[in-house]
Amino acid sequence: MFSFIRILLLSILFSITALSSDTKSITLTIYTYDAFAASWGPAPKIKEAFEREHDCELKFVGLSSSIGALRKIQLEGKNTKADILLGLDTSIAQTANRTGLFTTHDLNTTKLDLPIAYFDENFVPFDYSYFAFVYDKNKLKDPPLSFEELAAMPEDFKIVIQDPRSSTAGLGLLLWVKEVYKEKAGSYWKKLSPHILTITKGWSEAYGLFLRGEADMVLSYTTSPAYHIIEEKKTNYKTAHFREGHYGQIEVAAVLKSSKHKELAKKFLAFMHTQTFADIIPTANWAYPVIKGTKLHEAFDTLHRPEKMMLMSGKTVETQRKAIVNEWLEAIQK
Amino acid sequence: MARSHTEVDMFKSLVRFKSAVLPGAFISLGLLVFAFLLFFTLYLSQDSQLFTQIDSRIYRLLNFTLYQAFLSTVLSLVVGVLLAWALAHQSHFRGRGLLVALFSSSLVLPTLIIVFGLIGIFGRSGYLNQVSIFLFDTSFGSYLYGLGGILLAHVYLNASFASRALLHSFESIPKEKYKLAKSLNFSVFERFLYVEYPALKSTFLSIGSTIFLLCFTSFAVVLLLGGSPSYNTLEVAIYEAVKLDFDIGMALKLALIQLSISAVLVVLSSSFRTGLTNLKTSHTLIPWKEPKLLQIIQWFIIGVFTLFFILPLVVIVVDGIGADFGRILGEALFIKSFITSISLATVSSILTVIIALLISNARRNFTLPTRLATKPFAKVVDAIIAFSGNLYLAIPSLVLGLGFFLMYQTYEGSEIVWSTAALLTANVLMSLPFALSVLTPAMHKTAQRYDKLAFSLGLTKIQRWFYVESPYIKSSLGYVFALAFCFSLGDLGIIALFGSDEFSTLPWYLYQLMGSYRTTDAAGVALVLLVLVLSVFIVLPRLFRSKIH
Repeated sequence: MFSFIRILLLSILFSITALSSDTKSITLTIYTYDAFAASWGPAPKIKEAFEREHDCELKFVGLSSSIGALRKIQLEGKNTKADILLGLDTSIAQTANRTGLFTTHDLNTTKLDLPIAYFDENFVPFDYSYFAFVYDKNKLKDPPLSFEELAAMPEDFKIVIQDPRSSTAGLGLLLWVKEVYKEKAGSYWKKLSPHILTITKGWSEAYGLFLRGEADMVLSYTTSPAYHIIEEKKTNYKTAHFREGHYGQIEVAAVLKSSKHKELAKKFLAFMHTQTFADIIPTANWAYPVIKGTKLHEAFDTLHRPEKMMLMSGKTVETQRKAIVNEWLEAIQK
Repeated sequence: MARSHTEVDMFKSLVRFKSAVLPGAFISLGLLVFAFLLFFTLYLSQDSQLFTQIDSRIYRLLNFTLYQAFLSTVLSLVVGVLLAWALAHQSHFRGRGLLVALFSSSLVLPTLIIVFGLIGIFGRSGYLNQVSIFLFDTSFGSYLYGLGGILLAHVYLNASFASRALLHSFESIPKEKYKLAKSLNFSVFERFLYVEYPALKSTFLSIGSTIFLLCFTSFAVVLLLGGSPSYNTLEVAIYEAVKLDFDIGMALKLALIQLSISAVLVVLSSSFRTGLTNLKTSHTLIPWKEPKLLQIIQWFIIGVFTLFFILPLVVIVVDGIGADFGRILGEALFIKSFITSISLATVSSILTVIIALLISNARRNFTLPTRLATKPFAKVVDAIIAFSGNLYLAIPSLVLGLGFFLMYQTYEGSEIVWSTAALLTANVLMSLPFALSVLTPAMHKTAQRYDKLAFSLGLTKIQRWFYVESPYIKSSLGYVFALAFCFSLGDLGIIALFGSDEFSTLPWYLYQLMGSYRTTDAAGVALVLLVLVLSVFIVLPRLFRSKIH
């Protein structure tokens, strides 16, 4: 028993020393959300491509969420190891700017292929998608095609959404409804609330519930079905095309002021706007790239791509978020 | 003169028991200092406003949190007593040991996995509804989401734990008492009231308060099955304050509210105590069987709960079995997470057992009238030690993680070392309340029964351990060891702040898979985790038993 413990302790010690003695000239550290950094996510391919062009080591650190990554940087303050924060969306980027931890990118972003113009001194876009409700066409023949139809569905029609207080997707839906209904958003939520099966902390739990058939629809992205088509060869997952339009999510990245390798970090931001990067994104992060003329996998042709993207300015979100969340809470309490 | 006499007396007895008190007291003090440091670090790093406005929403949350915790506790205890009672009276059937071990394992299974298992049975398109549609052409619908679901999951997670501990108390009732009850022609209720209830009482209260605190801080279950923000707990508000608003001042304030409520509960529960005179002494078999009707009821209870406990696990197996295990098990990150998880679990379970033993060894000095319990300070010291062991139940894990993270920033040091320290501390703190609720009554009882004998024989510490404590608590020790091991294996709390590709545990890996559409892989890893936890939980206590023999 004790020799077993000793071996274990020794092996822990060895693995610690093995991990800490990592050597390579310059390491560029990027904090991002877990799905991006995962071995099946875009990170390994991006790392390989970027390291081929630059003499450095690119290191992705995946946190539980992009907001989690921002919070970690805030906690670490000036001592943070992060050179780049990647994966916030435009709704929360303003909040990040207010921390004063980020520096300007000095890139020309006007040529980017975005459905809506976006400019920020510090944050640059690298992909985007649209929020949408995903359903299984084998189970749901007539999906609701607007928010009104959604609220008017029969009593036992259920959706799963994410909590806007912990999930950027949940916040996205809140802003979407607000954009559509303005001051009537509260009363719309009251109408919708009987259809909400449950509200989850993050996207993962919500999507998991949906795939188990617990709910008829789940809040996700218009690009979600591409995963099922390409990776699982399943074509039964569709998104409902809402008449009011679809709210968007533009993902952004920025360099930290405290970074010791700002030049290289800015090169990475520029790298995000190359064809190499744009080719990796669609089938690894399941979103649209920001470079014009990128050839997408044919599965993307079957997706519904809204003509117009709805998006509140970061400033508006920053000032109104609390009020919007409270309005939602009031409306939805049972 | 009388006064000085008691003072001298007090001093004498303190000296006499110092070697029993000091190690445990030292650890308790360490834990409390740690808690203080945690809050102090948080206090230092908040911006400025300690007195952020607490709105009416927080009061509503608090109200609901207490309400659901109360209901969950009562239900878990009722279910736990029924199950323990049935099992105690059906003491000889094939696979009973396995069943008991299985029941108590649900407490240590990763909550996220269990919740999905429950949904597979009781959910909107779960097997129960499917069967009902097939047979009666109607579905119960989505009854699972809301208060019902919260209670169901809490009972699933806690009733089994309660039944394991209560079964132990049932089994420590001397069989002679049953013979007496039989000869007095007691009814079942009389037998329960006069023979069984007195033996259960102290376990009942300590388990009850633990379950209450556990449900009070419940997070994942409430969020996933609650269905609406009106069913959220205080922990969610803390999550919101930390994660979305980054308002450490608010989080600190909420954490303090939670801490004070938990403190009151812990102190209250430690003052309920009854002397227990029962020890498992006789191996006399009871020669008669229970009446036919009672047997049927007991078998019914065992049957229903077996189904209730096993079916959600079956769902996890069915979901996971189709995964591509060759690929999953070969993934570098999986192997790394696996090794990290196992190493952490080993170290933290050893630490937990040692700390729990020392604390319960110290505590019994203040609960036994033959030792120091009659002294004026005994109650207070006892409550403080008890509270230090239940620290995890009082401090939200998010706050714990945050505090650790801030300490890591303030006091520098290698990230891996800090991550390891944070996870180990969290894991030990998490298992401690359970370890203590199992060991404290046992240690109390041995001392109560054997103190006079041991002292008159002048046994040394080591002799005493081998002849008195060890034979009585060895099965509990194995259980505590396995419990701590599995807790550590399944935890998905603090790792969310510290996890990265370089430092990852199995549950974190699982959560990552879930977060990127990889549901089949996730189901496979969930199955691996389930099998791992179950086998450790069932095999380890047995190994332990034979080792000591």
